[in-house]
Amino acid sequence: MFKILKSLSKSLGGGKSAPAKPAAVPSKSGSLLDKVNKGAPVTAPVGPPKSAEELCGITAKMPKDEIRAQLKLLFRRYNRSASSLDAKIRGEAESMLNAIVQIREKNFGEI
Amino acid sequence: MAEYVGIDLGTTLSGLAYLKPDGNPEIVPNSDGERLTPSVVFFDSHEDVKLVGSAARDGGEPDRTIFQIKRYMDDPEHLVEIDGKKWTPAEISALILSKLKRDCSKICGDITEVVITVPANFNELARKSTIAAAEMAGMKVKRLVNEPTAAAVYYAHSQGVKGRILVYDLGGGTLDTTILEVEGDLIKILTSEGARHLGGSNFDDILLEAYAEQYKKQTGAALYSDERHRRRVLHATEDAKKMLSKLQRVNDTVANDQNSGIARIDLTREGFEKLIRHMLTRTVFLVEQALDSVKLKPSDIDHVVLVGGSTRLPKVKQMLEKMFGKTPKSCGNVDECVALGAALFAKRSAKIQEVCNASYGTLAMVYNAKTQEEKLMNSIVIPKNTAIPCSRTQVYQTSEDNERVIEVDITQGEDDDAKFVDVIGRLTLEVPPNRPKGCEIAVTFSYDENQRVRALVVDKQSGRSKEVAVSYKGAGVLTDEELKRRTSHLRAMRIE
Repeated sequence: MFKILKSLSKSLGGGKSAPAKPAAVPSKSGSLLDKVNKGAPVTAPVGPPKSAEELCGITAKMPKDEIRAQLKLLFRRYNRSASSLDAKIRGEAESMLNAIVQIREKNFGEI
Repeated sequence: MAEYVGIDLGTTLSGLAYLKPDGNPEIVPNSDGERLTPSVVFFDSHEDVKLVGSAARDGGEPDRTIFQIKRYMDDPEHLVEIDGKKWTPAEISALILSKLKRDCSKICGDITEVVITVPANFNELARKSTIAAAEMAGMKVKRLVNEPTAAAVYYAHSQGVKGRILVYDLGGGTLDTTILEVEGDLIKILTSEGARHLGGSNFDDILLEAYAEQYKKQTGAALYSDERHRRRVLHATEDAKKMLSKLQRVNDTVANDQNSGIARIDLTREGFEKLIRHMLTRTVFLVEQALDSVKLKPSDIDHVVLVGGSTRLPKVKQMLEKMFGKTPKSCGNVDECVALGAALFAKRSAKIQEVCNASYGTLAMVYNAKTQEEKLMNSIVIPKNTAIPCSRTQVYQTSEDNERVIEVDITQGEDDDAKFVDVIGRLTLEVPPNRPKGCEIAVTFSYDENQRVRALVVDKQSGRSKEVAVSYKGAGVLTDEELKRRTSHLRAMRIE
């Protein structure tokens, strides 16, 4: 595996020769970050309210160690987001953190 | 003159300690005789005076009283408006620090240089704001030190322990946990993790909601209709919380300010613990995160140390004892050990080995030759917990023919997913034209002991390079001139 620095390019043309996928064209005025949907919740808040399992991506047949690993990953992400200056991001983080705790208690008991 | 002084500028309580000639630190009380000063500021409307501490917390009109300003130290947009003047969080903090300096100097001598503690996950703006606050208060900041580190230094000093220590610091507004190793005079920090908006004041708010619910059930009325009364009841809930650390059951009576009647509130410790259980579970997650980041198990920890007033909750001790299989310890007054440790740190900083508080990297397309998939990811250059000072290099390749400008985003965060890291800087480097894709670009990040990051980008083929010190330059940072102006303005103020 090698890493490519996908920088803002002023290339005159020429796509990538990588097979299968079309080359991603850098935006003229934006940056790489324009491609990153920053601040978007992992689960979009549309439609009926999701269960804690749905929010955390936990399925009924998931083994316990996978559930534990998933909760740890989600906690790390949303604990960080809980410090955001954006009230919307903070609100979403709070919901996710509550869901994470709920799933933990369901699967591994209360503290 | 007091040579070694440490200040814990807390969310709810602040303290100042100095190092005595015998080498032991001691808390210096304020002019009200209190060892800890509530981090509250009141702007009086009749006299030109700012009250700081208990008088501000207990007596002032709520809309002229500032609580928990520390929560906003990283918010460039947050301003407090009083009598048409806008105050930044740094300026409000400067008032608190001024009170500490003025009061405590009478006992320990003139204070010109200090070590101030900050939460482990305070970002650069919050750290700069803290330094600016101290400068406005007439004190030079020798070092900023993370709160759990300061507490651990005090614990190691006062208990003479060695081995692996986990510090669990649950204060009024934040939780920090740090794992370190103590070997004689040397302290090695292994990792720190933090959670904002998770502390005693959150528990008070939860209890307030419970009170309001019970009041409504019994009287049909709202418990409070304005901020002044809400604050009064909040004070009562804080007292009830403290009582529940000593008793299994507490009775309280409350009334609103509309003569809707009196309600009797019955609280049990068990009921209260149930209300805050979800928040305490988050603290367990954070402790586990800290252990995982340095690949340790609970059994690898020799000592668990409690810091911060909220660790007085019996449930906290039980929870940690269950997790670690040993009784957590505290060193003296859990509210004071951060300031005491900061005073020790002021003299001993050379013997403390610290680490990067976060991972630093860049955004890159990472190609997986096995799956033939390319994905935009956060590529970490300096992993979190690397001992500092440090320098790491990662080599990348350009992705297109004839690239003229290389842009390197500097990220902070542990995640591979670019959505979950922060971009804290950007470097651009012009490179020669007419080159094929695949040119090697070396990206080097350096991290110094003041938690500062430098980024260097080198085009290996042409030798062209560019370097930048990653420094927060956005809103919220005062210019030198502005700092000077506000400092002299503040020095002329009457602060009681």
